[in-house]
Amino acid sequence: MYNFEFEKPATIADAVAALGAEDAQALGGGQTLLPTMKQRLAMPTKLVSLSGIGEMQGVCSNNDGSLSIGGATTHATVAAEAAAQYPALADLASHIGDPAVRNRGTIGGSLANNDPAACYPAAALGSGATIVTNAREIAADDYFQGLFTTALEEGEIITGVRFPVPEAANYQKFLQPASRFALVGVFVAKFADGVRVAVTGASEDGVFRWSEAEQALSASFSPEAVNGLQVDPANMMGDIHGTKEYRAHLIGVLTKRAVAAAS
Amino acid sequence: MSVAKPLPHDAARLHVTGAARYVDDTPTPRGTLHLAFGLSQVAKGRITSLDLAPVRSSPGVVAVLTAEDLPFDNDVSPSNHDEPLLSDGTVNYIGQPLFLVLASSHRAARVAARKAVIGYAEETPLLTLDQALAADSRFEDGPRIYEKGDAAAAIAAAPRVVEGTFDLGGQEHFYLEGQAALALPQEDGGMLVNSSTQHPTEIQHKVAEAIGLPMHAVRVETRRMGGGFGGKESQGNALAVACALAARHTGLPCKMRYDRDDDMVITGKRHAFRISYRAGFDADGRLLGLEFTHLVNCGWAQDLSLPVADRAMLHSDNAYAIPAIRIESHRLKTNLQSATAYRGFGGPQGMVGIERVMDHIAHDLDLDPVELRRRNYYAAPGTATGDNTTPYGMEVSDFELHEMTAQLLQSADYAARRAEITAWNERHARLKRGLAFSPVKFGISFTLTHLNQAGALVHVYQDGSVHLNHGGTEMGQGLFQKVAQVAASRFGIPLEKVKITATDTAKVPNTSATAASSGSDLNGMAVMAACDTIRARMADHLARLHQLTPAEVIFDGGSVRIGATVEISFDEAAKLCYEGRISLSSTGFYKTPKLEWDRIKGQGRPFFYFAYGAALTEVVVDRLTGENRILRADILHDAGASLNPALDIGQVEGGYVQGAGWLTTEELVWDDKGALRTHAPSTYKIPACSDRPDVFNVALYDGQNREETIYRSKAVGEPPFMLGISAWLALSDAVASFGTTYPALNAPATAEEIWHAARRVSDGV
Ligand SMILES: Cc1cc2nc3c(=O)[nH]c(=O)nc-3n(C[C@H](O)[C@H](O)[C@H](O)COP(=O)(O)OP(=O)(O)OC[C@H]3O[C@@H](n4cnc5c(N)ncnc54)[C@H](O)[C@@H]3O)c2cc1C
Repeated sequence: MYNFEFEKPATIADAVAALGAEDAQALGGGQTLLPTMKQRLAMPTKLVSLSGIGEMQGVCSNNDGSLSIGGATTHATVAAEAAAQYPALADLASHIGDPAVRNRGTIGGSLANNDPAACYPAAALGSGATIVTNAREIAADDYFQGLFTTALEEGEIITGVRFPVPEAANYQKFLQPASRFALVGVFVAKFADGVRVAVTGASEDGVFRWSEAEQALSASFSPEAVNGLQVDPANMMGDIHGTKEYRAHLIGVLTKRAVAAAS
Repeated sequence: MSVAKPLPHDAARLHVTGAARYVDDTPTPRGTLHLAFGLSQVAKGRITSLDLAPVRSSPGVVAVLTAEDLPFDNDVSPSNHDEPLLSDGTVNYIGQPLFLVLASSHRAARVAARKAVIGYAEETPLLTLDQALAADSRFEDGPRIYEKGDAAAAIAAAPRVVEGTFDLGGQEHFYLEGQAALALPQEDGGMLVNSSTQHPTEIQHKVAEAIGLPMHAVRVETRRMGGGFGGKESQGNALAVACALAARHTGLPCKMRYDRDDDMVITGKRHAFRISYRAGFDADGRLLGLEFTHLVNCGWAQDLSLPVADRAMLHSDNAYAIPAIRIESHRLKTNLQSATAYRGFGGPQGMVGIERVMDHIAHDLDLDPVELRRRNYYAAPGTATGDNTTPYGMEVSDFELHEMTAQLLQSADYAARRAEITAWNERHARLKRGLAFSPVKFGISFTLTHLNQAGALVHVYQDGSVHLNHGGTEMGQGLFQKVAQVAASRFGIPLEKVKITATDTAKVPNTSATAASSGSDLNGMAVMAACDTIRARMADHLARLHQLTPAEVIFDGGSVRIGATVEISFDEAAKLCYEGRISLSSTGFYKTPKLEWDRIKGQGRPFFYFAYGAALTEVVVDRLTGENRILRADILHDAGASLNPALDIGQVEGGYVQGAGWLTTEELVWDDKGALRTHAPSTYKIPACSDRPDVFNVALYDGQNREETIYRSKAVGEPPFMLGISAWLALSDAVASFGTTYPALNAPATAEEIWHAARRVSDGV
């Protein structure tokens, strides 16, 4: 790890100002960033910790029924506090990594990082969430732009995420047994106006929506509706943990499981 | 008597509290240097340029050594002198040590090691068995062949034949404590080495060669390892030799430990095999003729590959009397880590081969797989009507499996569960349960006969306390405790009076590796001999004091009874003997009897006896994903008259789980350049505690070794590993019920492999 400066502001405004410095970087739970720095793959001159900002903490319900989660809220807090309003989301959060990761890692950090095997991107895209930053609001459909790539600008902070709460939802995660990240993960959410299906872990372009399944499930929300549908293996990731064919196949299986668990 | 008591591991409390000292925990003198290797990044070729200036100028670096700086022998091979410590200019695998960095800290050394600028003339590496076979790249001139009868003719005449080929992956040792060594230079040029090794004498030998001194100038001490599993039989040589050379070069203590990723990238693993078979049998399932071809991926250096591959051949019969058999074994040389010893030492691979054949035949005949196995078993002692010899001509005279199988099937309720599972499977399309039995017959002794010897050194102090030392090493298996139980029993004293001490080449010389499951057998006997010598001297003296015969002096319960009337404590007895000028120190020695083996012919008696085991595993498999779980395992294992049932059951449980891990989740992946891509726990999945079967019934068979071993016990280190084969067979059984064709599983049977197999069989329907 290289040397760096450390700041822990108490407001979003101070954080944004601190991030104006050259090569400054936001620090969420550090579960991804710190290992990267230890390997010297990242060398920020200044870390701006977001964990002291009260307005970025916690889970609350909005008048329209949606759920807002502060950008610095840990996975463990989401698991505990979203359980009543959005159980599928809480369940997803409760299966990320291990207790140490869940007590440190944050939703903002996960979405900013956009790891192709991460869980939260599937929830955000599958729910049609809105990513709220210090500068603007970004629809999930516009936010994810490929592996480790998002719509965030330099120095932009995810201050919160607003999740519409679906009628029914479920996340199915197929574990890569060694790391326990998702080999494939599928988030299915049923809203009054249709079904969304978001897939993580599988594609070479990161999290994506499986639109054929969405159409079929919007017409009939049952596992059988997905019968015969198949994601093209060509665009899937093939790596040491699974072939393209296997991943493409798992998407169908997990989608059905998610639908069955949700309905 | 403390022998046969289920006592906990002597260091259990230290392990749990963290007070147990491993090499890296040993306090080091000020100024100790830390070492790291610079590693090859290509799998095959020559070094054309090596710019080490950036390494030398890296902070904390004290010196950088290359092969040219080595004063004497540049070799760390345990066998063939083909494994330079530092590259001689050629590179043979990704991860091969090229140069050695000496620095002020572990971290400084590792950081510096990455800064070298290296030019290579790359050549095309041989990575797969097919490539090596095509290039005729091998150890030994050609394949080794062991034969009994005319297998080809027997197969040709057989009513039915099955054949097949499958791949069997390697396995990372994943000892919790990585490789480590510490060298302390002595005033006369000699070296004191602290090494995490199963083989202190080998370390002593290689260090002595490397620093150009006789073995007497090198002393190696090993208190314990945090796991070895065969991975510290030869793989510790490089670190210990590097430390000694660096210590000689600088006059400073030097320490080296591999970081986990480096450990996985540098060190050898279990040999991967491809096994082809052709089996002829009759309608009742009796084997008539069998042919095996083993393709063995040995990696780049010979290491222990020849005896490993031999042992695979020697276990190709497992528990079955096969009238005609031919085993052909190709030891192929590739540009990968040099495969090495790993619990079972090739035996597991050979045994998987024959168990696969049994599974295939049972499927072909639609015959109960346990019944099929029993029909082919060797005869029980005294019941043989015809030939009862192994493919290498050894009479099987201690076969326990008829009785053990009967007991296990009963305690595990086999027949009823088989019927219940069959009915359950008929009702379920997506999930299928599988049940499989597999026996183990494992040969005990080093196949290199001269290794079957051991020494011990025992002192009784004048206060009656006992200092115990022997050539075996402790790697968590509980050897020290078992041997201490022997010593305590010989003197009739409580175990607390016996002090267990670190293995030390200065106390007991010329030891063999703690390997081949032989630790307790050999060292227990050597310690018994030493204790009995001292006890006889004591009895003699005490008898003389009372005008009695030595036979009237009894050591028991912490006391010594002298004749009918006198009873003194062992402490008093020791004091009396000391004052009577009796030597209270003795060495002890043991060599295994009855062995005689010609490995080229494949004939003789390589083993003193066999250890047996039987396992029944139940699994469930999901057709859609290949996901699977072990639901239940029942095991009956033969440890003879166990020296310590608690430790032995621990070995059986751990062995089973490790064996099942090898055949299910542990998958090593190299890329097409030859780089190991699974070099951390985040990519390589070993079983965790939570992966053990929910129902796990492990019992020891109530028997005795028919040969004269230490208290009639049996070796227990390796044999239970192979009980894990039943988990792989249970997966095959479950997959088979998705269709009608034989699943032909490869190993490891990862979820994806099972998914493919399920599709293969169900597409056939
Ligand atoms: C052992 C282990 C297992 C894991 N398993 C899983 C798993 O199963 N599923 C899963 O989804 N994830 C998993 N993770 C990742 C985990 O969820 C991380 O917490 C998450 O990816 C990053 O969150 P963080 O708060 O720690 O971010 P950090 O590591 O602090 O930061 C990550 C990146 O996001 C930026 N950043 C952080 N917060 C913000 C913000 N509010 N606004 C803008 N940018 C920000 C940082 O600058 C950095 O670039 C695992 C991690 C570990 C170590």
